[in-house]
Amino acid sequence: MSKISLRGLRHSYLDNPANDADWALKSMDLDWRDGGAYALLGPSGCGKTTLLNIISGLVVPSEGQVLFGDQDVTKMPTDQRNIAQVFQFPVVYDTMTVYDNLAFPLRNRGFAEDDIDVRVRETAQTLDLEKTLFNRASGLTADSKQKISLGRGLIRPDVNAILFDEPLTVIDPHLKWVLRSKLKEIHRQVGSTMIYVTHDQTEALTFADKVVVIHDGTVVQIGTPIELFEKPKHTFVGHFIGSPGMNLLPCELNNGVPLFAGQVVETENGIHSPQECQNLEIGVRPEFVSLSESGIPVKVVNVSDTGPHRIVDTRHGDVRIKLLITEDESIPADNVHITFDPAHTQIYADGWLVSEASK
Amino acid sequence: MKRFTWAAPTFYIIFLMLPIYWLLNMSFKTTNEILGSFTLWPNEFTLENYIAIFTDPTWYNGYFNSLTYVGINTVISVTVALPAAYAFSRFRFLGDKHLFFWLLTNRMAPAAVFALPFFQFYSAVNLFDTHIAVALAHCLFNIPLAVWILEGFMSGIPKELDETAYVDGYSFPHFFVKIFIPTILAGIGVAAFFCFMFSWVELLLAKTLTSVAAKPIAAVMTRTASTSGYELGLLAAAGSLTIIPGAFVIYFVRNYIAKGFALGRV
Repeated sequence: MSKISLRGLRHSYLDNPANDADWALKSMDLDWRDGGAYALLGPSGCGKTTLLNIISGLVVPSEGQVLFGDQDVTKMPTDQRNIAQVFQFPVVYDTMTVYDNLAFPLRNRGFAEDDIDVRVRETAQTLDLEKTLFNRASGLTADSKQKISLGRGLIRPDVNAILFDEPLTVIDPHLKWVLRSKLKEIHRQVGSTMIYVTHDQTEALTFADKVVVIHDGTVVQIGTPIELFEKPKHTFVGHFIGSPGMNLLPCELNNGVPLFAGQVVETENGIHSPQECQNLEIGVRPEFVSLSESGIPVKVVNVSDTGPHRIVDTRHGDVRIKLLITEDESIPADNVHITFDPAHTQIYADGWLVSEASK
Repeated sequence: MKRFTWAAPTFYIIFLMLPIYWLLNMSFKTTNEILGSFTLWPNEFTLENYIAIFTDPTWYNGYFNSLTYVGINTVISVTVALPAAYAFSRFRFLGDKHLFFWLLTNRMAPAAVFALPFFQFYSAVNLFDTHIAVALAHCLFNIPLAVWILEGFMSGIPKELDETAYVDGYSFPHFFVKIFIPTILAGIGVAAFFCFMFSWVELLLAKTLTSVAAKPIAAVMTRTASTSGYELGLLAAAGSLTIIPGAFVIYFVRNYIAKGFALGRV
């Protein structure tokens, strides 16, 4: 049990990475607090799994260090790191019974048979595997097998961290929800560090205390679900998290005041130096756009009903702006105008949030 | 129509079994009966032929010799092919695909091509007429085959199995022996079976590379006539006995062969 730190980490699967695109992970400095529940969120192929494999030692990074506490483990083999990892697809030792599968990690580390028996039964109970405990693992269904994989990850009491690589992909939606709450519960009980890789925002936001969003091999934001929602540091975060994602509007600058469609837009942050004036965009979530008497004129293109609220798809010129309204709010037939909530409207330069610090 | 559905398989099986029946039939006849008249079953039933084989060292040693070099060959082929197949299935290295294909080219030439070089070379290094000589010569054909079969089975096992074992606290050698080999046991069985079969039926190299001490049964059987004239009954009995080891081995891998075919590697 210790803090896991990544220092100046870079990784490429090529021998001689020539340009930026050759790096699967680009320069990463991260600290994982001991006992934290983290989610690594990002689209497929953004480097999440690579990062996880570096922490568990299956991949040795091209550059940089991995520290467990104060110990440098960058080159230490996986079996000595004391890490548990659960993969996306079920991995069971077909030749063993369910019981032996679960007991395997403990036996390898020399636990006494009595303790093993207690742990195995406990874990089997949490994961609802008791009925098949003495069956051979090879004949089971995919989701039972994945539960065994999960169990093998959770069974050791002394791990530095438990890494989950999209562990619930093969499990049907209802059970997924149950298992996710189980994981959360186990985390509260044992308090070991958990890192959960996923590309599903609901999964990330419900599981984690802190979400690390990765895009193109770079960490774009680390924050609580609320922070990610209310204050995305990068347009990618705004777009990726939330359904529908954040509206991004091209914007011009007039004497330091952002303009969209010829109207002044009040934003929560501001532009303060001329260098920041590249590719300016205004970001505002559909939740913070509202219909009003005056403001930016738009044309309603489509309204889709999602149950609790409706998503209104509007256009101003070529720019699409989505907004959420409640069931009982009515949409005027013509002369539709919208306004943005200034407290939740941000301005982005080259994709990144224009920072508060420069104020 | 439906009443005759039994006909096709029945005729097919009769067709397949006929040569084997005829061999067995002959093995229980005297040579005089075989040569003298056409009989569908032995008129003078005799076990003489079998007794002759089990009491004459030139005959039964043929079986021992064959089984010895076939056994050695199977063990060498599978042992060498296991790590090779693992490398081909798990690692990417320069020219891996070419090398993998090149392995097969060893099987493209008939065995006769290699008979002369092997004969000359083994004579030079004093390996001529030993079991290991034949076993090593057959490796040339069997190792590539075993690598191909095993690679197919190994690639069917996800890489995550290896990774999970490391995470669970196993080092690579430990994992390979304790987890990986049991997992692909079916594949090993199939590979061993094919090595066995090839080595068991191969005649040319085995005959060329031996004279007395390691003479295989198939070579003994090419001796159709002896001082007492033609001994067809004896040959038939020897042939019947030669079928047995193959049948015995195939019984053990019968369930896995289908899996091997499904992987397209057999």
